Amino acid sequence: MNSESTLVGRTRARPGAFGFLTDTTLCIGCKACEVACKQWNQLPMDDFGFTGMSYDNTGDLGATTWRHVAFIERVADRQGRRPTRLQPFQSHWLMLSDVCKHCVNAGCMEACPTGAIIRTEFDTVVIQQDICNGCGYCVPACPFGVPALSPLDGKAHKCTLCYDRLKDGLEPACSKACPTDAIQFGPVHALMDRAKARVAELQAQGVDARIYGDEALGGTGGIGGLNAFFILTAPPEVYNLPAAPELPQRRVLPAFLTTALAALVLGVATLLSFWRTKEVRHG
Amino acid sequence: MAELRRWQHRRAPGEPVSAETRESYYGLPVIHGPHWRWPIVFYFVLGGLAGGSAVLAAAARLVGGRWARSVVRIGRYLAFLAVLPGPLLLIVDLGRPERFHHMLRVVKLRSPMSVGVWGLVGFTASAFLNALRQAAEDGLLGRRGVVQCIRRLPDRGLAAMSLLPAFFLAGYTGVLLGATAVPLWARNALRLGPLFLCSALSSAAAALSLLVGSGPDVQRVRRALERVEQVALVGELALLEAVQRGSGDVVGRPITVGLEGRAYAGARASAGLALGLHLLARVVPRRFRTVLRVLAALVAFGGAFLLRAAIVFGGRRSAEDPRATFVMTHDERH
Repeated sequence: MNSESTLVGRTRARPGAFGFLTDTTLCIGCKACEVACKQWNQLPMDDFGFTGMSYDNTGDLGATTWRHVAFIERVADRQGRRPTRLQPFQSHWLMLSDVCKHCVNAGCMEACPTGAIIRTEFDTVVIQQDICNGCGYCVPACPFGVPALSPLDGKAHKCTLCYDRLKDGLEPACSKACPTDAIQFGPVHALMDRAKARVAELQAQGVDARIYGDEALGGTGGIGGLNAFFILTAPPEVYNLPAAPELPQRRVLPAFLTTALAALVLGVATLLSFWRTKEVRHG
Repeated sequence: MAELRRWQHRRAPGEPVSAETRESYYGLPVIHGPHWRWPIVFYFVLGGLAGGSAVLAAAARLVGGRWARSVVRIGRYLAFLAVLPGPLLLIVDLGRPERFHHMLRVVKLRSPMSVGVWGLVGFTASAFLNALRQAAEDGLLGRRGVVQCIRRLPDRGLAAMSLLPAFFLAGYTGVLLGATAVPLWARNALRLGPLFLCSALSSAAAALSLLVGSGPDVQRVRRALERVEQVALVGELALLEAVQRGSGDVVGRPITVGLEGRAYAGARASAGLALGLHLLARVVPRRFRTVLRVLAALVAFGGAFLLRAAIVFGGRRSAEDPRATFVMTHDERH
């Protein structure tokens, strides 16, 4: 057994952490999660445009879009090979309801210079809107492209995993609205056990299924797993998800060390040049 | 404030849909890019200039003799004046500028922006004290009262104390960019800090050599500043090359082609040209030397500006490229 197999299905989520399991094999692309999220969180509508590429006119997660259903049509490549065993007259769509991953070690939270981004008692990651001053550093610090600055109020926004609903003992709006239970809410460790059983079941049926959000895939590089994780049936890049993201703050200490080394060299050079420079004759 | 996201088709003309869905999700970005633009570029340039000037002033005060006093004086004033617009530029860049003081709620060592805010506060305080001490020394504040107390502040002590915040201010911005998911910055996380340091020192030495004027020791002062500038320019050239080579074809694309690519090439050409002009100034007749040195200083300063602009705007373009992100996060097992 290689080291990878020990990481599959493993997460560093704390006991008692809550999260989502989004099973893409059950998603029918109805976008009820997007609508329920907008309604409950009173999010304004986005740019009402037409992407012209698939049934996905939402495009991406953003400041006012905290659930986004991706539609991927798996069509034949130049050689006519189809990434599916379905008949040629049948289309082959993958659908994924994307959401904030509520990382076990969250890049956005570590980057936040104001302490606005906190970890709640449910081990979810929430931006406190009364603290955020819109510096925007969490936006590029997220390896998954989740937080975004809103042009409406200048602050950063993302999924709160319905913190207000959790406080009242309710499940988040998106999982409540999901008609096929593709989005399941619960304790992360229980969900992970369920995901492992589901992936085994799918693999027995010959489906190329995998968990995205354990320490082997998606929760890599110091992130330690994702509290909102997924079951995928294609490589993560197909869903616009990075296979092996890294916690950006892992680079802070090494980068400060090389900078300090450079400062030392330049400092010595500067001191030497002022110490050793002799008077210029015929000046 | 952030702009509204608008979708546009990114498929290259003549390419089938399958080409873009195989490698990415219809060519859409994987990550969200930073909103940083010109205010941040100017802050990086001014922060570098301020930090570099403070380093040169401190070094001149600590080991230079009386001949180097002009560097101390002008370096201290320049460090203070250059850092003053910094906080304003940063506040203007916030989505909610009136909440700027929320930056001072916490200290987070793993967040370069949090550490950076405190470093900026520390540097501003140290630059203020150094400039105040110098002003008292120069008699700009009169001769009596509080000025007597200010003159009792240890001059060499202030200079020594300013070294750490000065180096920090000049270099931390590179670490800040490296600690993001932006492919171009993440790939060069270890190189950006040293690169910004070199550029800070070369631009500060260039600015000071233009400002030292015509004292009795001006030749000696210029020679010392020139030496620093040359060391910094050599380091800058080496790091510019290392960043480009280390990035590879896909991740390094924003600093190779397009407007940012030209800015990056311009930064490299400026560093090389400034170095060349300094070398040339040694062999030509004396009457041409001043012109060449002034030219070299201006070119070096322009190069520092181009470098910051290329890195900041190149990072924005890098974040938009899903292929660059996937090169960074690839795992061949999946």
